[in-house]
Amino acid sequence: MPEPIFILLSTIFVNNFVMVQFLGLCPFMGASQKFDSAVGMAAATTFVLTLASAASYLVEYYILIPFDLQYLRIISFIVIIAALVQFSEIVIKATQPLLHQILGIFIPLITTNCAVLGVALLNVNHSRSFFESIMFGLGAALGFSLLLVMFAAIREKQEHKQIPMPFQGAAINMITAGLLSLAFMGFTGMDR
Amino acid sequence: MMLTEILAGVLLLAVIGLVSGGVLLLSSRRWQDSGDEVTSLVNKLLPQTQCAQCGYPGCKPYAEAIVAGEAINKCPPGGDNTIRALADLLGKDFVQLDESCGTSQAPMVALIREPECIGCTLCIKACPVDAIIGAQQMMHTIIFEECTGCELCVAPCPVDCIDMISLEVHEKTEPVHLADSQPCIHCGICMEVCPQDLAPQQLLLFKNSPTLAESLRLQDCIECGLCDRVCPSKIPLTAIFQNTKQAALDQKSESAKAEYIESRFTRRESRLIASTANIHKRPSKAETASLLAGINNRQQP
Repeated sequence: MPEPIFILLSTIFVNNFVMVQFLGLCPFMGASQKFDSAVGMAAATTFVLTLASAASYLVEYYILIPFDLQYLRIISFIVIIAALVQFSEIVIKATQPLLHQILGIFIPLITTNCAVLGVALLNVNHSRSFFESIMFGLGAALGFSLLLVMFAAIREKQEHKQIPMPFQGAAINMITAGLLSLAFMGFTGMDR
Repeated sequence: MMLTEILAGVLLLAVIGLVSGGVLLLSSRRWQDSGDEVTSLVNKLLPQTQCAQCGYPGCKPYAEAIVAGEAINKCPPGGDNTIRALADLLGKDFVQLDESCGTSQAPMVALIREPECIGCTLCIKACPVDAIIGAQQMMHTIIFEECTGCELCVAPCPVDCIDMISLEVHEKTEPVHLADSQPCIHCGICMEVCPQDLAPQQLLLFKNSPTLAESLRLQDCIECGLCDRVCPSKIPLTAIFQNTKQAALDQKSESAKAEYIESRFTRRESRLIASTANIHKRPSKAETASLLAGINNRQQP
């Protein structure tokens, strides 16, 4: 299998960011109440993650390394991610006001989604090429989106079910997430 | 050496900040805020009684406040149904009605004890939907159909001749007896027998959310009762669907009524604005002369 596609598939399924590496759990739990808003959140995160991994590569190899400024890596990545998140918030607010209202604080919180910074830093650590970095970011984003949308759909169905008293609310969500995580653990070892 | 390193770092962050700030500025110019789409969606869910029990001067201001982050449980006339609809729309959790705003009660209308009315017109000014007719020194009366039961006319009346009478609500739906039935086991037999190709087990799942059930063609149910017969869990499906249908109808008629009341309210608002704008001051002599000249010119040819 060609390397980029391998990276893409393995980040979506085998090393899924949410279920295997446990990154980005805050929006996974918080923004999965409704299917529609989960789709919006997934799209916004995909946009931010993919562009952030591309931009962080450019900053790392064309600014930080030539000027010997690697010690500023984390803070400059955070600034770039924050700007991308603000940009996506402006676009969402203008085009999808209801989605913006529902997601509320969770859109600015993409900035602190550890998956975003995690992808940028992991790319540098593994010294991936530009194209590979983008594939890694896209794979992480698609994996996150898959899980978020799946979880939202399950939660929406659960709303209409009779759940025993002690399991209502956060408890059943945690159990569902745990079962999903177990299922994704089943992919472990499928990459080389 | 030290100084140049610090300078390089500062310069780097300044450049990144400036570039991204510039892009953000441009994009915020390009994508303007599209304004109050959400407010009108929220406003449609409110009962439009304009009663101000929530602490805002009407339903629209409360809708604006909700969008800005106010609690959704401050509307006593809407009751639990409104709170649930708002929670659905905004993705929030359902909360009990805020008792400090008032309690949810059966719909009421105001009624004037007409022999006692002194014709002061104070209640006419208070009515948010122009449901009171009358004139100075004349008896007033309330148009029964237009009254929203907001009680805003009760307080201003100097002779206390306005009563609130509660409307009799006839129970439209009978509670379904689920005592003999077992939970649904999703066997799917009901789907096979349904002459309308509906999915009764799915409809059962959405029995408390009429909008969702309608998207599964609830209104196509002909209430033939076949699904009741074949159900191994003995669930009274047809009776449940009748109730859901009724709830869907109620929802629609309520929103139609709310829309009508809102149109009356906005008409009153625009009338009030127009009447304050039309107060003329006496024209000065020069203005009179020019006005007269204009009239004379028009008459001459």
